[in-house]
Amino acid sequence: MKTSYSEMQLDALRELANIGSGTAATALSSLVGVPIDVSVPSAVALPLADAVDAAGAADSYVTAVVLPIFGDIDAIVLLLFPPEDAQTLCGLLGVDADSEVGLSALGEIGNILGSAYVGALGMMTGLELEPRPPETATDMLGAIVSSVLATGAEGTDVALMLDSDLLIEGTEASLSFMLVPSKDGVGEVLSRLGVNG
Amino acid sequence: MVRMGELAVSRVSGHLLASIGLGSCIGLVLVDDTRPLAGLAHIMLPVSNGDLESPIGKFADRAVPALLDEMTSIGASRSRLHAVLVGGAQMFSCGSSTGVDIGRRNEEATRDALAAAGITVRKTATGGSKGRTVRVHVATGLVTVKEPGADEFDLFATAAAVGRSR
Repeated sequence: MKTSYSEMQLDALRELANIGSGTAATALSSLVGVPIDVSVPSAVALPLADAVDAAGAADSYVTAVVLPIFGDIDAIVLLLFPPEDAQTLCGLLGVDADSEVGLSALGEIGNILGSAYVGALGMMTGLELEPRPPETATDMLGAIVSSVLATGAEGTDVALMLDSDLLIEGTEASLSFMLVPSKDGVGEVLSRLGVNG
Repeated sequence: MVRMGELAVSRVSGHLLASIGLGSCIGLVLVDDTRPLAGLAHIMLPVSNGDLESPIGKFADRAVPALLDEMTSIGASRSRLHAVLVGGAQMFSCGSSTGVDIGRRNEEATRDALAAAGITVRKTATGGSKGRTVRVHVATGLVTVKEPGADEFDLFATAAAVGRSR
C-alpha cells in the first residue's frame, strides 16, 4: 500500500491541481462577472485523521458541494465555502444563500466548477472521467470531510488532497477546492503523468 | 480529542473525551456505571476484512474489542459498562460506491460487535443527515451531544452521575 509520494509526484499533482483550478476559476469568473484569483495549490498526503485537521477547524460551519467522479478513476471533488462567503457568492448571482434557490445555485456552481476541473484533469491525463450530480450540505467541516474521506478509506489510511483556494476579487470571499482521489485513482493519475515510480 | 480512527480511555476525573464532527462515523462511548471510567472510539467503517495495519479505531469489528480491552485494563468491569452510540448519519447519498449508507452500516456493525461482547447499548443519537459532536465527562459518565442548529443536550447519564448531581 503506497503511503507516501515523492516530491516529484507531488509536484506533478500540484501542477494538475493548478491547471484544474485555473480552468474552474475561469468558469466561475464568467458566472459572476468578477475576476477570480487562484492560490498556489497544495498537494498533501496525510493519515486520515490529519487530513481532516488539514481541511480546517472541525467544528467550523461550512457549506459544501460534493461532486463524485467516476470513470477511469474514482474521486470526489469537494468545494467548501464558509457561510459568509457563500452569501457573497450568492449575492453576486442575485440570490440569497439561505434560500432553496441559493442552495441550488451553490450546487450548480459546484457542478460547473467541478466539471471544469474534471475536464481539465481528463485532458491532461487522457482519463475518461464523468462527474455525477452534486450534493450540497451545510454542516460542521469535520463531519463533511470525514464522511467524504470515509467513502474512499477502505484499503488505505492515507488521504491525498489537492487543495486550491479561489479568491473572488474585490471581496474577502474565497472558496476551497479539494480533489480527493481514491487510492487506486492516485496511482492511475500518476502513471498517466509519467511519474509513477 | 478522539479523531477519525482513534480511540481513547480515561479514568482521570478532570478529563473530557470528545469527537467533533461525526458524519457517517460512529462515536462509540463506553462508560462505567459506578466509577469515573470512560472510553470513546471514532469508528469510520464497518468491517476490516482482515486488515490489521490500520488505526485500531477505524473499523467497528476491531474498535469494539480494542476499546473494551483498554477499558478493562484501567479497571472497568464489563458487566458495569454502558454503551452509547452517536453519529452514523448519511450526509451524502452518493457516499458509497455500493450504494449502501455507510453511516447505517457503521451503526449496525458497532451494535453487532457490542452484542457479541455482551454490552448493552443504552442510548443512541444516530442516523439523519447532520453532523454531531459528542463529549464524555469522565468524572460523571455524562454524555452530551451537539447537533447543528440546536443546543448541546444530555444524551445519557449513568445512575452514579445522576446520583452525584443531586
